[in-house]
Amino acid sequence: MGNPNRVAVVACAQTELRAAWSNAQHVDLISSTVSNLLKGSGVALADIDFVIDSGSDVLDGRSISNCGFLGAMGAHHKEESRVEEDGLWAASYGINKIAAGAAEIGLIIAYSKPSESDVSLFYASQVEPFYQRPVGFDHLAASGLQAQQYVVRGGGREADFAKVVVRSWEKASGNPHVAVGQVPSHDEIAAGEYVASPLRRHMMSRPVDGCVAILLASADVARRLSATPVWVTGMGSAMDSHAFAVRAPGRVEACEVAAKAAFARSGVDPRTVSLAEVSGSSAAGEMMVLEALGLAKPGQGFEAYGGSTAINLSGGALPADPIMATGLVRLAEACRQMTVPGDYGLSNVKSAIVHATGGVGMQSHCVFTLEV
Amino acid sequence: MLQAPDTYPIDRPPLKSTISMAYTLTPGRAAGTFMVETGKRRFVGSRCVSSGLVCVPAQDFCPRTGGADIELVVAPEAGTLTGFTQTAAGILATIRIDGADFDFVHKIVDSSLVDLKIGARVQAVWADASTQSILDISGFQLAPNAPIGKIAPLSDPADPLPMKPYPLDLHYEHAFGPFYGRLFDEIGSRHRIMGVRSTSGEGVLIPPREFDDISFTRTGTWVTLPDTGTVSAMSVIHLEFRGQKEPPPYIYAEIQLDGAVTRLIHSIKGIDMSRASELVKPGTRVRAVWSTSRTGSLSDISHFEPIPELNSANATDM
Repeated sequence: MGNPNRVAVVACAQTELRAAWSNAQHVDLISSTVSNLLKGSGVALADIDFVIDSGSDVLDGRSISNCGFLGAMGAHHKEESRVEEDGLWAASYGINKIAAGAAEIGLIIAYSKPSESDVSLFYASQVEPFYQRPVGFDHLAASGLQAQQYVVRGGGREADFAKVVVRSWEKASGNPHVAVGQVPSHDEIAAGEYVASPLRRHMMSRPVDGCVAILLASADVARRLSATPVWVTGMGSAMDSHAFAVRAPGRVEACEVAAKAAFARSGVDPRTVSLAEVSGSSAAGEMMVLEALGLAKPGQGFEAYGGSTAINLSGGALPADPIMATGLVRLAEACRQMTVPGDYGLSNVKSAIVHATGGVGMQSHCVFTLEV
Repeated sequence: MLQAPDTYPIDRPPLKSTISMAYTLTPGRAAGTFMVETGKRRFVGSRCVSSGLVCVPAQDFCPRTGGADIELVVAPEAGTLTGFTQTAAGILATIRIDGADFDFVHKIVDSSLVDLKIGARVQAVWADASTQSILDISGFQLAPNAPIGKIAPLSDPADPLPMKPYPLDLHYEHAFGPFYGRLFDEIGSRHRIMGVRSTSGEGVLIPPREFDDISFTRTGTWVTLPDTGTVSAMSVIHLEFRGQKEPPPYIYAEIQLDGAVTRLIHSIKGIDMSRASELVKPGTRVRAVWSTSRTGSLSDISHFEPIPELNSANATDM
């Protein structure tokens, strides 16, 4: 068995992430994103070996929704697969195909229109139906219980929740890809109504509509296409127990496992990484993820924001969570920060961590390391 | 940045849609037994023989080791609060039943959030009547003096519930977008079918779209299509099934409107159904019969019907 081929992200495109794209269908968002991606990329549709996409039939309100979106994705008569997980998993599938030598250029797409449905039903559909769903257990309850355990057993501070949210929204307001509107103040957040105590209204991620697409290429092709290919040097993913109450309280173990696998492959050390783009379902969730990734000590997730690694300059998932596309957006954001670091006030950028999560109470996790 | 049309002149409210899934779930042995035994006010857990770990409520496998060598047990009705939150559904807590090795989630009743403390003793509150579900226990209430219970063998276990009806309704409000928006607006307001010119060949695409599926190039101008076309395939539906709009038999056909390169699926009526497969075939010329309603949906076309003067000449050729 030979060494795997190196794989790079060579282009990214996305729609604006907004609370509701009420005047566009999935296909409108997807076709315009893919067409923008190809513009100036040096790649024509005919050059693309495969298309892998992420979305949710339950959110989309149609079975095997990718079949209806095929033409909009540019996937007519192409090898196409759908991953029913965040788009970062779709990217890992595509990277493995290219790394294995089975293809040279891949198109990865993730899309989401949670504004068209009831997000609580989307999560309820994922909950165990005999013991958990009937008592009202859902993603909100899981996130509330997780936040309480983060404080009680994980060593986190409840007072940091509002600070994380303010920071996220301020960063997002400077991000041209997120429609933010009014940035909530610290006091507004800290005094907001409880949605799942100790979490208040703004402390859960805000579902938004949007589409994101990236182009992956093998090393030879990437060097020809891009002056600044972003190399994916490590990947790992892991899933925790479906039963929320049997997971380790106060931390996200599956994220730790996924990160360990990615770091072992690439040799990237989280203590010296230049930047990170991570997904958190809640303010507490984001800090727990930072700890699991080794960007902060246990219970001190908040310290990561003041450290040497630039965390979620995009604003992260709290102000803009296009469910199923959130992690792929993180990858696109990290790639932009690595290719034009000056635009983000960064210099000497060498490496990045990208993180995606999915499921009720962040059951599954996917971690990439990127290098330039 | 996005070029998706941001504004367009047609202001259509979203399409409301509900998917009703009439699931019939199979609980299996552990959950199936649990849901019958709660009717006898026995709280069933499971012990994995190989790991020795106890799970309450009962599972068919050990949550830690995956071991499937399970024996069912009777669990005490008391335990300890390990965590809690409050949502619109009420107070939900993680509870460790005495003798169990894992927590589970249930409601807390008869208390407010400020009364709760991690480590507090709680006791099950049984519902007045059994619904053969986890809700046979309404929830748990604070019980400072609840004695520490023990796991006991389950004698004469009931036969597991074989099936649990589980209807799930999912509600949607789909955006039309600029292309479907104009299509359905024209249908509703003018009884006019409009497509866009394909860029990968001669002809018109319906439904209209911004990008041609095959060439992935931008589509061309809007085109009004006639409401006549040719059947390219048809089927007489005899089966009854959930979600049907009318009782069988009826005809569904793929119809290629004159000038279109795509096919539209609609029903064909206005014929003697006992001669359906003789009167409607690939090649049959059909015309849309518009309904009197104007809802801005495909049902504004009531159905298609054969055009007798165009079909009689070549009827014997097919």
